[in-house]
Amino acid sequence: MAEISYATAPVPVRADLLAAHRRAWQRLARAGNWWTGAERVAMAAEVRQARHCTLCTERKTALSPYAIEGAHDRASTLPNAAIDVIHRVTTDPSRLTKAWFERIMATGELSDAQYVEIIGEVVAVVSIDSFCWGLGMPLHPLPEPEPGEPSRYRPATAVHEAAWVPMIPVHAAAGEEADLWHVGRTANVIRALSLVPNAVRQLLDLSAAHYISMENFMDLTWGRSLARAQMELIAGRVSALRECFY
Amino acid sequence: MLLRASGKVTGDAFDVHVITEGGTAAPSGVPHGEMLIAFAEAMVGDDEAILATARQRVLIALGSEALVDAAAVVSNFERMVRIADSTGIPLDDVVYEKTVDVREELHLGRFRSAANTPKA
Repeated sequence: MAEISYATAPVPVRADLLAAHRRAWQRLARAGNWWTGAERVAMAAEVRQARHCTLCTERKTALSPYAIEGAHDRASTLPNAAIDVIHRVTTDPSRLTKAWFERIMATGELSDAQYVEIIGEVVAVVSIDSFCWGLGMPLHPLPEPEPGEPSRYRPATAVHEAAWVPMIPVHAAAGEEADLWHVGRTANVIRALSLVPNAVRQLLDLSAAHYISMENFMDLTWGRSLARAQMELIAGRVSALRECFY
Repeated sequence: MLLRASGKVTGDAFDVHVITEGGTAAPSGVPHGEMLIAFAEAMVGDDEAILATARQRVLIALGSEALVDAAAVVSNFERMVRIADSTGIPLDDVVYEKTVDVREELHLGRFRSAANTPKA
C-alpha cells in the first residue's frame, strides 16, 4: 500500500503529523468494527465525492436542506442511508438535526454503531484532506482496502444518555476501554464516538498531532510554534464558521 | 471557550468577538490574530486564490512551522465540529457553567446545534 507522504509538500510537515496521518490511512484500509476495509475506503471516496455532489450543493444553498429531495451523486455502492450521512456530514454539518438522525435510523439500513463508525472515518478523512487543502497540496491517494471481516465488537457499557447515539459513561471506561480516557476525565466530544472504541483512539491520535494531546490539554500555556491563544483563536473561529454550538 | 481562559493564564485580556464576527470585529489582541483568522476563514472557504494569499501571509510573517500548525488546528476543528454536530452531544456540564457569559456575549445560542444542549 502506498503510504502517505509529505515529501512534495510546499513546507516541511512535522513527523508526528505524518505518522498520525499514515496510521489513519492504515486504519481506514482495514476492516473496522462494523464495516469492511473496502466499505471504509468507499466512505472516504464519498467524502470527496460529496464536495462535487449536485444535491449537496442545492441543499447547501437552500433555506432548509430538508426541503430539497433528490439523489446524491454517489461514488460507491454503500447503502443510501450511509451515502446521505457521509454527504451531509461532509458538506453541511451545522444543519444536522435529531429528526434527520432518527429518519436515518428508521431506514433500517444502518445500526447506531455502523453510524458512529461512519462518522469516525468521515471526520478523519475530512480533517486530513482539509490539512492538505490548507497547505496547497494535492489530496493523498486513498489506500487500497485490505481483506478481513469486521470484528462486530460493541462495548457492553455503552448506554443512551443525552446524545443521539449511545456512549460509554464518563466513569465506565474500563476493561477493553480503559485506555480511552482517565476515568472521570473526558469530554462529550470524545465520548461521542465511544460506541466504536477505535474511533475514539483515532480521534485522540489525530488530535494530539493536529492540536494538543489530552495530557497537555489543561495546560493553557502549552503551545507549538503557535501560542495556545493563537491555537484557540483559530479553533474558535472555525467552530463559529461551522456554527457549532459545542 | 479556551481563548479567554488562555488569556487569563498569560495575563492578556483578549477580545473574543472576532470568533463570531471575524474580520469585522475589533482586534482580538492575540498576536497576529487577524492574519490567523483570515487563514482559518480561507481554509473553511472554497476560494483557492483567497487561501493562497492568506497562506502566503502566514508563511512570510510567521514561517513554515506556524503555517503547518495553523493548518493542523483548522483541520482538527473541521473534524471536531462534525463529531459534535453529527452525534448530538450536549455541552459538558462543567463547560456549560463556565461559559455562560461568553455564550451570551457571542449569541451562540442562535446556532442550530444549541438544541442539543436542552438547557441552553
